Amino acid sequence: MDTLMLSRWQFGLTAFYHFIYVPLTIGLGFLIALMKTRYLQTRNKHYDDLSMFFMKLFAINFALGVATGLTMEFEFGTNWSEYSKFVGDIFGAPLALEGLSAFFLESTFMGLFLFGRNRVSDKVHTFSAWMVAIGGTLSALWILIANSWQQTPAGYKIVETPQGFKAELTNFWEAVVNHSTVYRFLHTVDGAFITAGIFAMGVLAFYLIKRRYVEMAKIGFKFAATFTVIATIAQVIIGDLHGYEVAHQQPLKLAMVEGKFETEKCASLDLFGIIDQENKQSRMLLKIPCLLSFLSYHDFNAEVKGINDLLKEYQDKSREYANLIPVLEQKLQQAQTPEEKQKIKDQLAEAKVKAHAFNIKYEDLPSIPLVFTTFHLMVYLGFYFVLIALLAWWFAKKGTLEKHKGFLWLLVLSIPLPYMANLLGWMSAEVGRQPWIVFGMLLTRDGVSFVPATQVSLSIAVFTTIYTIFFIVFLYLMFKTIGKGPNITTAKEESVPPVNPNPAFTTNFSKSEEVK
Amino acid sequence: MPIEMFTTLNGIWFLLAGIFLIGYSLTDGFDLGSGILHIFTKDENTRITYMNAVGPVWDGNEVWLIAGGGMLFAAFPVVYAVSFSAFYLAMFIVLWALILRATAFEYRNKKESKIWRTAWDIAYWIGNTVPALLFGVAVGNAVLGIPIDQKGIYHGTFLQLLNPTAVLMGFVSLFMYLMHGSAYLLIKTEGKPFEFAKKGAVVGFIGFVASLILADFFIIAIKPTLFLNFFDYPLFWIAPFLMILGLVLYFKYLVVDEKYNKVIYGSTLTILGTILTIALASYPVFIRSSIDEKYNLTIWNSASSDLTLTIMLISTLIFLPLIIGYTVYVYRVFKGKVSSEGGYGH
Ligand code: HDD
Ligand code: HEM
Ligand code: HEM
Repeated sequence: MDTLMLSRWQFGLTAFYHFIYVPLTIGLGFLIALMKTRYLQTRNKHYDDLSMFFMKLFAINFALGVATGLTMEFEFGTNWSEYSKFVGDIFGAPLALEGLSAFFLESTFMGLFLFGRNRVSDKVHTFSAWMVAIGGTLSALWILIANSWQQTPAGYKIVETPQGFKAELTNFWEAVVNHSTVYRFLHTVDGAFITAGIFAMGVLAFYLIKRRYVEMAKIGFKFAATFTVIATIAQVIIGDLHGYEVAHQQPLKLAMVEGKFETEKCASLDLFGIIDQENKQSRMLLKIPCLLSFLSYHDFNAEVKGINDLLKEYQDKSREYANLIPVLEQKLQQAQTPEEKQKIKDQLAEAKVKAHAFNIKYEDLPSIPLVFTTFHLMVYLGFYFVLIALLAWWFAKKGTLEKHKGFLWLLVLSIPLPYMANLLGWMSAEVGRQPWIVFGMLLTRDGVSFVPATQVSLSIAVFTTIYTIFFIVFLYLMFKTIGKGPNITTAKEESVPPVNPNPAFTTNFSKSEEVK
Repeated sequence: MPIEMFTTLNGIWFLLAGIFLIGYSLTDGFDLGSGILHIFTKDENTRITYMNAVGPVWDGNEVWLIAGGGMLFAAFPVVYAVSFSAFYLAMFIVLWALILRATAFEYRNKKESKIWRTAWDIAYWIGNTVPALLFGVAVGNAVLGIPIDQKGIYHGTFLQLLNPTAVLMGFVSLFMYLMHGSAYLLIKTEGKPFEFAKKGAVVGFIGFVASLILADFFIIAIKPTLFLNFFDYPLFWIAPFLMILGLVLYFKYLVVDEKYNKVIYGSTLTILGTILTIALASYPVFIRSSIDEKYNLTIWNSASSDLTLTIMLISTLIFLPLIIGYTVYVYRVFKGKVSSEGGYGH
């Protein structure tokens, strides 16, 4: 493999590992802060126990979020140096602001929250929980601004410098909101809420099954269920709006996501299908007529462009820009004032960059079945989450949770699913952006560093090894901590005898640990 | 002093980049230092105490590095892109080490097993020592020059970065952090851990002075022009003066007066002086090209547009006081001596 392929793999791999820990940090941060606040309001000890318990899990997760995030901050320079030079003027600012406004806040108050229990008042302790949650969300905001700019650039112009072309900021606000930041931010953070909600319900469901900490678990479960119901329903709505935005801003991505090779009026929404990339064909099952047109353009008759036509359009665009170059060069020679000259120079730079960037062929596209499948799986999971959240909420409200053991087990087993939905969503968004690293401006292959492939192979190998080891350690400690359970301050709780305790979870660990 | 250092955005950003480097070294510097020392004591209590001493604050401290990386990306993207790709493996070795450190903090004491803890102790030692060493190596290479062409593409190998002068500068930074970390532990600990930190402080001091003198000889031998700035701008001499003043104070408080709570003033001044000396010697160059001085990356040819620099300057002026404010608050909450109870010790 060459440096390009290796760098793509490495970036995807490290981002994936990072995003295993990120959603829980954001979502659980809020859940803990909410529980702490509820404790302050009601003085019900259970809420305090719950928040301290989830905090332990949070800390284990947070450590790896930080450790893997560190890599991401520097990887643009190490592996995508040409990209960094091209976008640095715009892309660097959100990254720096993320550090300034979010990471300091999150990490500093994390120290206070974890270690300061006995040194500050309950109010200050709760405040620090909120600062951690807000810090995590701000960090998501800034990094998603950066990512969204890459997907739907705005507020820039292209200039030529001695070190090559680059995008220069012309309007900060336009660059920040661009066209997709709002949707992407809401969608990703809500994904984090869902992750934390289902995680909390799953863990507490486990205690209900094992009849441990029953009182506390019920209260916490109800709390988490309410949170999750809101988050899951919101996600379907936000996701739909997000799709509407993709249809307008990145029609090629939409076509790949939906597996459409040919332009269609009254386009159908296809639920399942097989895509044959080589022969440019797709065979779909379960077509819902005209629905895609409606979802994408809010009009059942709207035309949805297919991949073949879009590629032709891009070729035409590329040619237009190419034809513009000699015209502009001539103009440049006739230009009188320096301002005029500068303006034409900028137009020339844009024409050169875009003539190259839009010159893409069918072979440059990423794997269409991958984009199609990941996206559709995410959406199905989204509806599944609505269903289980509603059921959980309903049973909790009626107080019949313990009767539905099967359902409780389903919740436990559903803990990994939101993680998958998050990763599937990213895969579809990022792979669907290809072949560009900055949509319509810079091809991924032009963004990579000049680093020997052997060095990149080495770094991938090491990353894979240590991240995998840490992931295993992470799982082990999570299971161990869950098995050990919360430190109950309300004494009577402990007396509920565990029915058929799972030895791996209760006996081995809890006994030896509790002694000291 | 070159006036454009204060009157142009590019100049101000050079100073700000320096501030972030100094902020990192002054805060995470003592985390690194205490982590370097940690493994050399066999006493389990001392080890846990050392981790607890930095436990509540190390993560916030590390953010100076992350934010510094982000600031460099925003203000001087070309420097960010060129140096990180040129130092590709070195960068990742530092990152892997820091990843080990971050996880060691959280996980080491989660299990009472000798093998588990020894493994994490080694990880923790690597996690502190390797970055402390390589930061100096990287700075050494940047100021001495690396083979980059006009597009900023690196034409050397990984091993070339480990030349003797740069490695010596690595030891300068290693001992500098050891000095600072030990000084911090002198404030935060008592009893056995305290006694051991004294030893660390002495070793750090001697090591720093020795490697600094050696490194100076090497630099004068291979790149005497590096000191020209000090003759053009006599005010620059303040920086080495601060460094020496710091060393004198360090020695005085540690050995002569035995005022252990004040030793850290000495290491603080030393760090400030050392980093300023290097930065001012190099000004206005970030990364020197050993192929041709024309290809040097300077504050002029590698910066972002004025609009971006302005926006970032305003943001920094808003956020930096806030950050310093709540950081000081948290440090005060955790004031006082620590032990092996509580914290990561549970
Ligand atoms: C939607 C949210 C989100 C996304 C898409 C990313 N991150 Fe992240 N990141 C977080 C949300 C987050 C967080 C929740 O704020 C973390 C997780 C654990 C933590 O401490 O903060 C974090 C940690 C974290 C850290 C460590 C911060 C610290 O020490 O406190 C760095 C340097 C980054 N991230 C950088 C990145 C980069 C460069 C990304 C782009 C590829 C990225 N993250 C994607
Ligand atoms: C913010 C700046 C980002 C940049 C510059 C960036 C750049 C890239 C590049 C160059 C690739 C390789 C292209 C490919 O192989 O298809 C990629 C893939 C990917 N990125 Fe991003 N990305 C960014 C943000 C993110 C974020 C925040 C995430 C979320 C965790 C993410 C997740 C992914 C995933 C899942 C892939 C697909 C992996 C693959 O195809 O091998 N990216 N990204
Ligand atoms: C149920 C309906 C859902 C719809 C209609 C929907 C829609 C979308 C759309 C249109 C995108 C942009 C894809 C692209 O740019 O190619 C996206 C991305 C994404 N989705 Fe979903 N989604 C849904 C559910 C979920 C759920 C339940 C989660 C997580 C728990 C999730 C997590 C993500 C993530 C992390 C991304 C990538 C970031 C982004 O581009 O916003 N989605 N989704």
